[in-house]
Amino acid sequence: MEQAFIEKLLAEAEKAGIEAAEAYVVEKESFSAITNAGQIIDYKSNVTGGLGFRGLKNGRMGYAATEAYDDDAIRQLIKGVIESAELSEDTDEELLYHGGDEAPELNLYDSSIDQAKPEEKMALLERMEAAAKAYDSRVDNGYSIVETGKHTIRIMNSVGLNRSFTENLCVLAAEPTAKENGFVATGSYQQFAHCFDALNPERVAQEAAKRAVDGLHAAPVPSGNYRVVLFNEVMCSLLGVFSTIFSAETAQKGLSLLTGKLGTTVAAPCVTLVDDPLRTDALGSRPFDAEGVPSKAHTLIDKGQFRTFLHNLKTARKDGVETTANADKAGYAATVHVAPSNLFFDQGDKSFDQLLAAVNDGLVITEVSGLHAGANQVSGDFSLLASGYTISGGKRAKPVEQITVAGNYYELLKSIRAFGNDLCFPDGSIGSPSADVGELSVSGK
Amino acid sequence: MVNGERTDRKMIDQKLATDVLDAALSTGGDFAEIFLEDRRNHSLILQNNRLETVNSNRLHGAGIRLYHGLSAVYAYTNATDRDGLLRCAKEVASAIRDERKETCRAMHSATHADIHPVQMRPSDTDARKKAEVLRAANASARATGAEISQVICGYNDSEQDVLIANSDGLFVKDTRVYSRMSCRAIAANGTENQEAYETPGALRGFEYFVTSVDPAALGKRAGEGAILMLHAPVCPSGVMPVVIGNGFGGVIFHEACGHSLEATSVAVGMSEFCGKLGQQIADPRVTAIDDGTIPNEWGSENVDDEGTPTTRLVLIENGILKNYMIDRLNGKRMGMEPTGSARRQSYAFAPTSRMRNTYIAPGNDDDDEMIATMGNGLFAAKMGGGSVNPATGEFNFAVSEGYLVKDGKITTPVRGASLIGKGAEILMQIDRVGKNMTMAQGMCGSLSGSVPTNVGQPWIRVKSITVGGRS
Repeated sequence: MEQAFIEKLLAEAEKAGIEAAEAYVVEKESFSAITNAGQIIDYKSNVTGGLGFRGLKNGRMGYAATEAYDDDAIRQLIKGVIESAELSEDTDEELLYHGGDEAPELNLYDSSIDQAKPEEKMALLERMEAAAKAYDSRVDNGYSIVETGKHTIRIMNSVGLNRSFTENLCVLAAEPTAKENGFVATGSYQQFAHCFDALNPERVAQEAAKRAVDGLHAAPVPSGNYRVVLFNEVMCSLLGVFSTIFSAETAQKGLSLLTGKLGTTVAAPCVTLVDDPLRTDALGSRPFDAEGVPSKAHTLIDKGQFRTFLHNLKTARKDGVETTANADKAGYAATVHVAPSNLFFDQGDKSFDQLLAAVNDGLVITEVSGLHAGANQVSGDFSLLASGYTISGGKRAKPVEQITVAGNYYELLKSIRAFGNDLCFPDGSIGSPSADVGELSVSGK
Repeated sequence: MVNGERTDRKMIDQKLATDVLDAALSTGGDFAEIFLEDRRNHSLILQNNRLETVNSNRLHGAGIRLYHGLSAVYAYTNATDRDGLLRCAKEVASAIRDERKETCRAMHSATHADIHPVQMRPSDTDARKKAEVLRAANASARATGAEISQVICGYNDSEQDVLIANSDGLFVKDTRVYSRMSCRAIAANGTENQEAYETPGALRGFEYFVTSVDPAALGKRAGEGAILMLHAPVCPSGVMPVVIGNGFGGVIFHEACGHSLEATSVAVGMSEFCGKLGQQIADPRVTAIDDGTIPNEWGSENVDDEGTPTTRLVLIENGILKNYMIDRLNGKRMGMEPTGSARRQSYAFAPTSRMRNTYIAPGNDDDDEMIATMGNGLFAAKMGGGSVNPATGEFNFAVSEGYLVKDGKITTPVRGASLIGKGAEILMQIDRVGKNMTMAQGMCGSLSGSVPTNVGQPWIRVKSITVGGRS
């Protein structure tokens, strides 16, 4: 994106009577490929981008966006923003950030990823397929996936802000199938990295293959209440879905049951929840948020006590607090919302085996499905298809599938008995160790 | 109406298409295709009793796909001038290292009947009228009771112009106009929140909200649903008979079976229904259809995203598997013809086989009888979304409004339930199919992104299924 185009857009906006305006520009390059049994199922690359534009007219914020930078673009954006602002009835003031405070230095770019050639990336898929097959004779075909991506975000406005950052990353994932005597099971595992050489296809394939094989001959357990350990990845899945309850925007709409709970106990004493945009081992990192405000770490829950919601400039002003720099745009065309950066539960000191030993008899849930439908962010209720294994005498016993685990997330936060010491960020930006969560309701046979 | 040249918003001509396809084929690819898209989206959100967000967006870009044997590569870009498209063509060509085998054949403009006419283009409709729709829904949702604590209403429309050209000489244009609204009502009592929502949509213009959708009635349903659920106890757990209501209840077929009949899974051996054509996979009461030709339905099209005319496809007839949904590339892999089922969210995705309007056809069973003879179980009146693992057939979906059935009578409403099972098993467990089929609208996610799909069915009864509740 030409700096000149943005400058012209801002100048034209001012002429059109827009009081203050901001361009949010994303430029992206990505590559991804999927193979199955040596065949390329999906292979794509792109160079794309888009520009989100917002502006204040009579104190109301209007939005418009475009991917086409033709002659009409500036005219369309200005017309769209004015129409949008004139229709808006939102009297809560939305602000543009002046850019006065320095953003922290954060190195999120590694040239090894950009330099990797497509054939080097495809070679990783071959190695994954071979390693999965070599792991166990019951491993059948399945998907092997590689992705690399780079994006640059630039925010420039008419009140003094002009900053940008570039990030790149690479991902490997394996989803093999295991088959035996008519039983079919799948396993999946993925690795994110900020450096190409850190990708380890053998480890990814072996872990995924192990999960597929471990799932063979799984069966439901009888319905009832069980002591449950949620594996770290499952804790992350739940935290990811329910992270909206920590957003001030959700709370101000009356959609979070944490409304009015600041300073009170909302979780068990072992629970500390942190949002840290400056961690370099996770992928939600950024030097500044979607409004350009410099990033900082915040503790949301401190040993069970609820300390703060996540804020952007607008929600912070409404609550009379400072922004936590958690403004987020779900793409260049989106309006400004609130979202976590790297959100995670602090780890405990118990090993995974010690968590199992403490439970003695119960279940470990290693995978849940259907989160987009089976977990309700408004009520906190969840009922999810699950699989894992039984714990018998404090040790791993039989594989389990075709059960549901059901509960309520607000209650689960209070019932966590202990965290393990295995904090991980499986999807990149949401982290958790495994946890002994007390009892959950299980439906099985 | 024939819609060959209805619009020409930054589209390309046949000469440029030919040059780009030839460039793509230069390294030995055997088939090349361009998908060019210009899309205008408009959205409004009303919450806190006021119109808070109005946003417009113009998507513009092109994707080029190249086959080499049974493999395919894809590249996409926003730069759709000659230079940009040729760069994109070189990018896909660079992934193949072979001798040139093909050149682009002479282009012929394919025309097709527009079976989904639009009366009121959203871009010609005053945004204030769109806002009025939301205000009506909001007001009636809030009027359902003092426990309604928030109502969030959304309006979205989209006008998508596409041009598809391929090296076989196909050159086809189409325009798809989508309109949708949502009304989400939240009921609260200080310690608990529950919600209910309605999300109608169609392949139509603003006339949809003038002639077919009553926003006030819709708001009322959402409000009443949320209050009902706020007072409902949690659903019990266990294995039991379940009657699933019509409309969005069809999500059971979509998840339990539909995805596993897409060539996306079948062609690569990742479906439990591989090799089952002609075999009985469902109870003989079950006939299931995937139909892209129903006029103006949410999942309909004129041509698919590879330019193939859309079709009506019988998937299962009286329990026997008749057809898979097949796109061009997977058709090559399977040695079968495409079925007009190739779809993609946008130019940023290569197309693959997807569902359109997928439903269980009406049967002969009586709704009252299926409840009266089920004993104790669950009536899942409204369903939420779900998901499936096609390789194992394991599916799950959420019940958004359920009722306990005791001794053949519908009793208390219950909340928070999900239904799980394996597709192949559940299809054989269907022991009643009612007469009154309705459809409902959803967004379906898969390899080629999120696309509009209808699900549908009459009331059906499943003899035995695992209900995931909490008591």
